[in-house]
Amino acid sequence: MAWLGFVNGQHKGITTWLALMGKACLLMLSLLLASCSGTLNTGKALCGPNGALRVGLIDPREGLDASSQQPFANQDIENFQTMLAQASQCEVRLEPLRSTDRARERLADQEWDVAFLPPGLTAFALQQSAGYSPLRVLSVNQTSRASILVLASSRFQRLADLNGARIGLLRRGSLTGFYLPLYNLHGLSLNQVTFALNYTALLNMLKDGKVDAIAWDNSQAPASVPVRSLTTDTHKIPMGALVLSGALAKANYLPFLKSLDDSSGQMPAWLGYAATILPNQQELQPLKAIVESVESWEMPLDKQPHRVFGRKVGV
Amino acid sequence: MKITGLKMFLGGDGSRPLRKQLSLTLAVVFTGSILVVILLLDQLFGWQAKDLINQRSVFFMDTMLAVRQYTSKQVNPVIAPLNEGGGAFRPEAVPSYSATTVFEYLRGSKPEYKEYSYREATLNPTNLKDKSDTFESEVIASFRSSPAQKVITGERNTPLGSYHFVARPIKVTSQSCLVCHSTPDRAPRSQILAYGDSNGFGWKIDEIVGAQIVSVPQNTVFRAKRESLLATVLLLAAVFSAVALVANSILNRLILQPMRLISKKAEEASVTPSTVSFTEKNRADEIGQLAKSFERMKQSLAISMQMLKDRQKP
Repeated sequence: MAWLGFVNGQHKGITTWLALMGKACLLMLSLLLASCSGTLNTGKALCGPNGALRVGLIDPREGLDASSQQPFANQDIENFQTMLAQASQCEVRLEPLRSTDRARERLADQEWDVAFLPPGLTAFALQQSAGYSPLRVLSVNQTSRASILVLASSRFQRLADLNGARIGLLRRGSLTGFYLPLYNLHGLSLNQVTFALNYTALLNMLKDGKVDAIAWDNSQAPASVPVRSLTTDTHKIPMGALVLSGALAKANYLPFLKSLDDSSGQMPAWLGYAATILPNQQELQPLKAIVESVESWEMPLDKQPHRVFGRKVGV
Repeated sequence: MKITGLKMFLGGDGSRPLRKQLSLTLAVVFTGSILVVILLLDQLFGWQAKDLINQRSVFFMDTMLAVRQYTSKQVNPVIAPLNEGGGAFRPEAVPSYSATTVFEYLRGSKPEYKEYSYREATLNPTNLKDKSDTFESEVIASFRSSPAQKVITGERNTPLGSYHFVARPIKVTSQSCLVCHSTPDRAPRSQILAYGDSNGFGWKIDEIVGAQIVSVPQNTVFRAKRESLLATVLLLAAVFSAVALVANSILNRLILQPMRLISKKAEEASVTPSTVSFTEKNRADEIGQLAKSFERMKQSLAISMQMLKDRQKP
């Protein structure tokens, strides 16, 4: 019996030894293969110049207050980031921003490789200086129209009456809250321009008498105080877009786009991502011209007087 | 039986020339040695690669901490007043902005840094890009539940693969942090206009609000290990090959050549013993002993042959 045990022990020892040698051989083989193949590069990854994909995300619905901004819920952001990482095969640095002004700076400095933008920022991003290309439509709101509101009891009857008035606007970069109202106020000297983060804050400012008129988007819920519209802009508001930086537009971005299209069903509904639909650049053209025109003017500062003056394009 | 067979194979059973046997034995022994070395070094270099990455990560975090302090003490007092108005918010006054921006420059400075990523993940950040995800929130929660813990390292699985990470807590230590992070009323208006008034507030002194996290793809760890291992194995193979060649040459010069000479002389001696002299008998080594034996055998043979001749005389 002892002899049998010895034989079994010896057999086990040999088996273990052979297994270890097998593992060593495999390691050796993997070393040789790795040295022959060099650095693996799938060629499918879509990364920015610094090795990561920098993604900007702005709520496509401009001027919502923070409490109604579903896009910035934790789980939404995390899932969205995972989806982008899978599509790009690259480390994703997602930057959700509430401020269109900050987003505008990011786009101007080309600090994003990919961005999901509302209409105003899309028009800004497509300017030659920013150099972004539109890839997909973000169709969220098609009832937007830019207006200028005053209290129903206000003495202001026409737009021209606002000369010397105090105006409330959204931050630079907003289409219905900044570019279009300013475009329509061209030629007026304003006593004060005050910025707010959202339309609710603007309405409160109007109600509290801190401003005489405010920018407004007609797609917002009806105002809680009696108000009157001095003017409603006639320009059709196009949809937002997914845009790609000039550098990445030269790379092979089609697998990334296909992956996004394929997973569009899992994308958050608030984003309004429309798979396979290219933005209509013709439709964006008038808006792009307005944004370009307003951007070339001197910009108003918060709580400062401002004369709305500059070369105005007729569109 | 198998072990005996292996012993015979390695030790030689006389079926091969010595030189061939030596080469074969050395090849088997050296290959076995290399495989054992691979197994051991695979573990060792794995630890070393991780250790190097951890050291580098801690160095990065120390550097970024220094950048944060510099920003807090020297840049913020200059820039912060500019943010009081309603103009554009200057993020250069914010320590975390400086740290992450400097890291981006650092990352671009050397190819070996490119795989590292640095985040200042925060539970309730001003800029939502710094918002901690579920995994990062768990790391921060660990720091908050055990404040004595200074570093956490580990592995993290992501859709892009496994990452090795090193994390350290971010603690609110200065009152100046609370200007932007206590209540929206205290925060500069430009900050509110840039980032809103709903996040990044409610921080308290000595509270752990986030974590510095340096991440590296596990592939980088494996690659560093593989490169070290491959270099060592190639070096060992080169050294063993040189040893085998030298051993073979020594065997040839010390044993095989003299033996071949003695063998040739012995053949001659078997016919004409008087004409052959085993000059190697003067050597003190085993070849000398063999030559002496052959010399004695030659002399015995000569005597025997002489005796045989004498008997045949009439």
